[in-house]
Amino acid sequence: MDSEDDMQDAWGGESDGEFYDSNEEEDDEGSSDKEEADYGFDDFAADDGAPSSRMPQANYTILSEKDIRQRQEEAIATITNFLSVSKTDAGILLRHFKWSVSKVNDEWFADEESVRRSVGLVRPTRPEYQRRSRGRGQEMRCTICFETHSFSSISRMKAEPACGHFFCDVCWTGYIHTAINDGPGCLTLRCADPSCGAAIGEDMVLSLVCTDDRTKYNRYLLRSYVEDNRKAKWCPAPGCEYAVLGFVPGVGASYDIVCKCSFNFCWNCLEEAHRPVDCGTVKKWIRKNSAESENMNWILANSKPCPKCKRPIEKNQGCMHITCTPPCKFEFCWLCLGAWTDHGERTGGFYACNRYEAAKQEGVYDEADRRRDMAKNSLERYTHYYERWATNESSRAKAHTDLQQMQAVQIEKLSDKQCQPVSQLKFVTEAWLQIVECRRVLKWTYAYGYYLPDQEDAKKQFFEYLQGEAEAGLERLHQCAEKDLHVFLDGEPGQATFNDFRTKLAGLTSVTRTYFENLVRALENGLTDVVQGPLRRS
Amino acid sequence: MLDVSRVQKELVEIERDKNLSGVSIAICEDDLARMRGTITGPVGTPYEGGIFSVDIHLPSAYPFEPPKMQFITKVWHPNVSSQNGAICLDILKDQWSPALTLKTALLSLQALLSTPEPDDPQDAVVAQQYLRDYATFVGTARYWTETFAKRGSLGLKEKVAKLVEMGFSEDASKSALESCGGDENGALEKLCSG
Ligand SMILES: [Zn+2]
Ligand SMILES: [Zn+2]
Ligand SMILES: [Zn+2]
Ligand SMILES: [Zn+2]
Ligand SMILES: [Zn+2]
Ligand SMILES: [Zn+2]
Repeated sequence: MDSEDDMQDAWGGESDGEFYDSNEEEDDEGSSDKEEADYGFDDFAADDGAPSSRMPQANYTILSEKDIRQRQEEAIATITNFLSVSKTDAGILLRHFKWSVSKVNDEWFADEESVRRSVGLVRPTRPEYQRRSRGRGQEMRCTICFETHSFSSISRMKAEPACGHFFCDVCWTGYIHTAINDGPGCLTLRCADPSCGAAIGEDMVLSLVCTDDRTKYNRYLLRSYVEDNRKAKWCPAPGCEYAVLGFVPGVGASYDIVCKCSFNFCWNCLEEAHRPVDCGTVKKWIRKNSAESENMNWILANSKPCPKCKRPIEKNQGCMHITCTPPCKFEFCWLCLGAWTDHGERTGGFYACNRYEAAKQEGVYDEADRRRDMAKNSLERYTHYYERWATNESSRAKAHTDLQQMQAVQIEKLSDKQCQPVSQLKFVTEAWLQIVECRRVLKWTYAYGYYLPDQEDAKKQFFEYLQGEAEAGLERLHQCAEKDLHVFLDGEPGQATFNDFRTKLAGLTSVTRTYFENLVRALENGLTDVVQGPLRRS
Repeated sequence: MLDVSRVQKELVEIERDKNLSGVSIAICEDDLARMRGTITGPVGTPYEGGIFSVDIHLPSAYPFEPPKMQFITKVWHPNVSSQNGAICLDILKDQWSPALTLKTALLSLQALLSTPEPDDPQDAVVAQQYLRDYATFVGTARYWTETFAKRGSLGLKEKVAKLVEMGFSEDASKSALESCGGDENGALEKLCSG
């Protein structure tokens, strides 16, 4: 029998409401959207803002440490009950069979003796020191410390393993201490007698060791529930203590997990969520980045010379629209260093700074000294994608901080200034959540673009068109959330204009969300089912 | 810290029957954590007649952690590195138990000399030879025993010196001797023909 199926009951079924709570149930509606999708921003403007079509949600459960402990206790109680064994023995059995209640049951009732042998579960015998003492004083030599200890029939030791083997309490403690500090192997500790093999259970361990060791041992006990199980993983976010259990990818569903700590990661490769690119591409890209890291350090520096006055300008906002300090005040694009007036709506919409070939032809890469040094075309090409990938990442990180700041302080302040109840300001947080998500997606589209085969020219052009639109739309949203909002945070209350702002920001949020969702789907499908659409139209 | 009282008791016990057991231990200087063990080569093996020294280092958690042991005397054996004397033996690793002792460990080493385990080798070259060309293995092992583990017998140095006197280069003499398992006549033949 497949042991993975057996795991299910160990997790106590799936009906406890601990599932990641998804509000996307309209799969059918989603698929009809898909066929009509044509990826023009304007065409989505009429959308009412409801999330229309995401991937079907995968099933999984997020558990806190407390939840895990509770499940462990439940499993132990069940086994204690069914098998009529002690709690300690139930724990030993469950750890041996990776916390599968049904596996313990099946194996035990199929062949109890063989299970006892392999697990080291011996039937309790009278301790050696009591058997030998028979009422009179009796000397026993501990074969670890080589000291002689005297016992009478009334002596009690803390260390009484089921096998009855005698070692003094001090030596047992030292033995267990060494095992605990050796790692999680202490959970399957056996008797110190080299020929014995009896399992040493939780109760004896905890009765002997110091507080420090007890903490470590309990920690290993807890972790074994997740680490021994192929269907469970810890959230990879630093410092996060949640675990994901029982992940079953739905049909066509993504591998993305949203942890309760708000970290978004891929179940498969444990990297940060990376739709629309696959795990293999992520791995390749990350390896490439570390191989090139020395060449790329300068990109991560947060300052560039202003293309007009050449003074160094620092990027301290999330969006790519940079305004040089007075008196220059030149407005330019951080990525391509072109004038901002060439970007976005005003020029009739061709947003081309995501395009490597265009940038190269315009000689952008001849300008900065640093770039001139990079003679190799391949490095130049990689630089183009890497810079955009990295910049979107830092933009995402910045947006994430801004979001937290927004939730902690700004919303309150805005509510005061504009005399609006906080509940009416949810659209601001939603906008920022959307920005964070879109920066992440946009970032990965650059890894996607880097690995798009050169010979697929039509596909490449179409991809760059979609990416450019996405970038332009996101810039609009980011700028609105960042700069327009400040007017209302600092300025006087003005009902009419604030309502306009609300309409604009909420509208941009919704349009951008829909666009990005369609983009992700299109890229994940390898641009196959959409490649004719917009190109034919244009 | 090291359980000094136990180690001292162990030493007394080893000293008591060292003639019978064929293993003994001497402390290095005043450091109880460093000692030198000695094993006599088992009778009926290529190691017979040899006396093998073992460097012993006791970790501070001894006896809860296994003693670290390494041959000082060069040994030709599948489970011992011919380069540095490192030993591959389970009871010195995960199969160690605090109820085992330095004496049981040295006796296990002695047993290992009698029954090599070429499937779990420390020295791949030796293990290959053991499995594919047992006769040469025995020859080399015996030669190493003669050369490195016996005091008073004609050592490799002397044999090389003799050949050098006859007009061969030192390197050629050494490698000829090694390839013939230390046999001087064989080496001479080889040097003349090659
Ligand atoms: Zn003791
Ligand atoms: Zn025992
Ligand atoms: Zn988390
Ligand atoms: Zn992945
Ligand atoms: Zn400037
Ligand atoms: Zn640009």
